[in-house]
Formats: sequence, structure tokens, C-alpha cells
Amino acid sequence: MNKTTQKEVVGEVVQAARMWPIWLRIGLQDIRMRYRRSAVGVGWIFINLAIMIIAVGIIYGNLLGQELKDFLPFLTVGFISWGYLTSSIVEGGNAFVASEGYIKQIGLPIYIYVFRFFVSITATMLISLPAYLLVAFIYSVRFKWGVLWALPGILLFSMVSFLLIAIFSHLNARFRDASHIASVGLQVMFFVTPIIWPPDILRKRAMGWIIDFNPFYHLIEVIRRPLTMSESAAFINYLVVAVLVVLLSMVAWMFAKHLSQRIAFLL
Amino acid sequence: MPSISLRNANVKFIVDVESGKTLKSTVIQFLRPRKSTPKVIHALQSISLFIKEGERVGLIGPNGAGKSTLLKVMARIYPQNGGEARIEGHVCPLFEFVIGFEMEATGWDNIRTRALLLGMSPKEIDKKIEGIARFTKLGEFLDLPVRCYSSGMLLRLAFATSTAIDPEILLLDEVMAAGDAAFYEQARKRMDDLMKRASIVVFATHGLSLLPGFCERTIWLDQGRIMADGPTADVIRAYEASVIKEL
Repeated sequence: MNKTTQKEVVGEVVQAARMWPIWLRIGLQDIRMRYRRSAVGVGWIFINLAIMIIAVGIIYGNLLGQELKDFLPFLTVGFISWGYLTSSIVEGGNAFVASEGYIKQIGLPIYIYVFRFFVSITATMLISLPAYLLVAFIYSVRFKWGVLWALPGILLFSMVSFLLIAIFSHLNARFRDASHIASVGLQVMFFVTPIIWPPDILRKRAMGWIIDFNPFYHLIEVIRRPLTMSESAAFINYLVVAVLVVLLSMVAWMFAKHLSQRIAFLL
Repeated sequence: MPSISLRNANVKFIVDVESGKTLKSTVIQFLRPRKSTPKVIHALQSISLFIKEGERVGLIGPNGAGKSTLLKVMARIYPQNGGEARIEGHVCPLFEFVIGFEMEATGWDNIRTRALLLGMSPKEIDKKIEGIARFTKLGEFLDLPVRCYSSGMLLRLAFATSTAIDPEILLLDEVMAAGDAAFYEQARKRMDDLMKRASIVVFATHGLSLLPGFCERTIWLDQGRIMADGPTADVIRAYEASVIKEL
């Protein structure tokens, strides 16, 4: 099989990015379609989040002896960012498989379908962010200028999301169970990562290394800390996320190099 | 200037039916190797051809000859393995019509999406969408999600949208199969019109009687190779002779 060169991969991605009117429209349409047949529409994103936050908040808050006014905002950002991460892998993995009808019929650069899923997944995350504002308002979280650190945080997170979609869409076209297997792994990670429990609890018991070696923790921190504490995340958080972006780019490039030419055949 | 130029283009399909479709089975295969060689199908073998502006080319050959694969290479859907393929110009492929719908979206939404993917600009779409809707004759059904449509209605929608653009290169793959009598007549007229506008038409068909009126050049494919390439009448005669001989 032919292998694509680095230049060709980059060229195709750039070519696909230029076609933004196409992928932006289909991506946003995907969101509208998903909620079209329900009475509350996009409201489901909030309802889902609210049920999780109330249930987990009350049980774990009490179980772990947390103040609800700190714990609930912490929990909300954790859920939003974790949801963004998992949907990048589980839904984003379907980017090529779900676009089969277009790929086999119209010879556009296949990366427009990666952008398509990036749009719908990222927009879903952005739509759920106001839920945090509501929680922050109820528990009168005080915002300072430091909250703006959330912007580079979201930017970094969305880069990771884009790369994960690219990786898993290739992988899923080749092995249809890749996203499924990954989602089993993610279920475990959900409990290992400080989302429904604050990191301090493990640190106090000298088990902080479980957190520190978990890239997902650092990834969530770059969004969570600015939003909940109005300050930048720790330097190490940014460093780990930067390394993660570089590593994921290399993996994504490798997959693109080996598989992108074969996608139309694999579907 | 639009043109299609293939030099020694090959297309191989690697079919590993038994293993390798899932990660799990690949890991098991790796741990407990069983002998299985992936089956390689040479769908196209060193195809060389040049189609210049203004040509109408017919593609004939038995099922599985590689007609659709060749069209998909010309549409840049399948990359060739080895060889060269240069396609200049805006391509409009009309293949398996009835795939690529958003089932939950309305007819209107689907027209817009498809038109965008086929390369129309949003402005152009605004201008043409009324005409497309009229051509579908679907009326109020266009406000419904397309999952409520019958296959004939889907065909109308896809056909109307796909043929509304001004392509430089038009690729057709035996598309006229479904649809009722009235639609067939309507579609024929539109097709003639479209083929007059496009500067290159490549057209795969089994309807040999249609070809002479349509294109002066015909290519006969068999098992991924070009058997003959020349004036339509001569190629059809040779093809029919070979079919009769096999009987």
C-alpha cells in the first residue's frame, strides 16, 4: 500500500480546513438533528448534567465530607470536561464510519469529516458551559480576572479533542471495536481521575502519584482551576498537556500516514 | 482545461474477511497465529487512458469488470496504488444515489447539505434551491424528515440536487434504475441537458443500445483491464462478439 508523506497529510488537512462552510454546517446540523425529536431539544444537555450533579453531588459530597458550595462547582466543571473528552473518543471515533455515505460518493478530503465531528462535539461542550455559570451563581462563586485563564485551557483541551477524534476515526475505520474498547477503559479512568472526588483527599494519604501520573487529571485542571478558583492551573499541568498534544499529534500523523489513503476501501 | 489522465493506475482491494475487522480478533490472531493470507483483489490493473475536453466516453463490461472502481478513481474517491492519476476540473459524481442522507433532517436541509458537498457555494444554493425543489415534485414532503420518504422519493431528491450543478466532469454510474415512468422521462431530459453542459462525461452502463446515440468513444473493461478503447460502434461489436462466444 502507498504511504502518504507528511506533506500530503498536512496538505489534505489544510485543504479540508479551507472548506469550513461545509463542515461547519454539517457539524451544527448534527447537533440539531440529535435533539430534534425531543420536546426539550438541546435542553437535554442541561438536564443530563443537572441529574448527574445533583445525584453525585449529594451522595459523594456527604460521603467525602465536602462543602457543597465548593464541591458542586468543582463537580460541574469536571463533568463538562470529562464529557468533552469521552465524546471525542466515543462519538468522534465514528467520524469516518458515520460519514461513509458521503465518503463513498463524493471525493472531498476526508478530514472535513473529522472537522465535522469536532464542530458538533465542541459545540455540545460550549452549550453545556452556561450550566456551570448557573451553579456558580447559586453558590456565589466569586469571579476575578484570573478566570480568563480558562480560555487558553479550553483551547488546549480542544486541541486534544481534535487529535483524539482524528486518531480514533482512523482506528475505528480499521477496527470497528476500537472506540468501544476505549470506552471501557474510560469508565475505569472516570473513577481513577479526580472528578467526583477532590485531589486533596488522595494527596493527604500520600497517594498523590496516582493523580500526578494521570494525564487526564492535568487536562481537566487547565479548565477546572481557572473556572472554579479564578487562577491559572499549575505550570506542571500546562507542561503535561503540551507534551500530550505533541504525543497525540505524532500518533495522529502516524495513523493518517498509514491509513488515510485506505479509508474509502475500509468503509 | 478539464481532462482526465491515468497512467498505469492500479487499484487493489485487500480483503481480510476472517481476521482483522476488530481489534479483539487482531490481538487474538497475533497471540495465536493461524495461517490466513489476506485476499488481494486487483480491481484495476495498469489502466492508461486520456480523456480530453469535449469527450463523451461510455464504459462497458460485465459485472465486476471494474467500471465503478474506475469511476471512483476519476472522482478522487479511491486513491490508486501505483501509477498516476491526474484529474483536472470540477468533478460531479453521480453514483449510488440513495446513500448519504441525514435521515432526521428535512428534505430542504438535505438539499443544502448535498449541494454544499458537491461544491456549490451557499449563495448559489440560495439561488437554485427553488428550482431544485420544483424538480423533485415533492411539495410539502420537503418539510418532513427524509426518513419518512420512500426510496423513489429519495431518488428524486438526490437526483434533483446532484444534477443542479454545472460540472466540468460528469461521472455517471447506471443511475436510472429506480423511479416511476414520469420521473424517468423527466430525468432523461435533465440528463441530456446536463451532459450537454458538462465538458467531459464518463458513463458506465449495461444498456448497450443507448450508447451509440450518446458517445462517440467507448471503453470496454474486463477483470480490471482495458480490453478495447475506440469508436463506440467498433467496441460494442467486439464486446458483443466476445459475449456470444462465451455462450
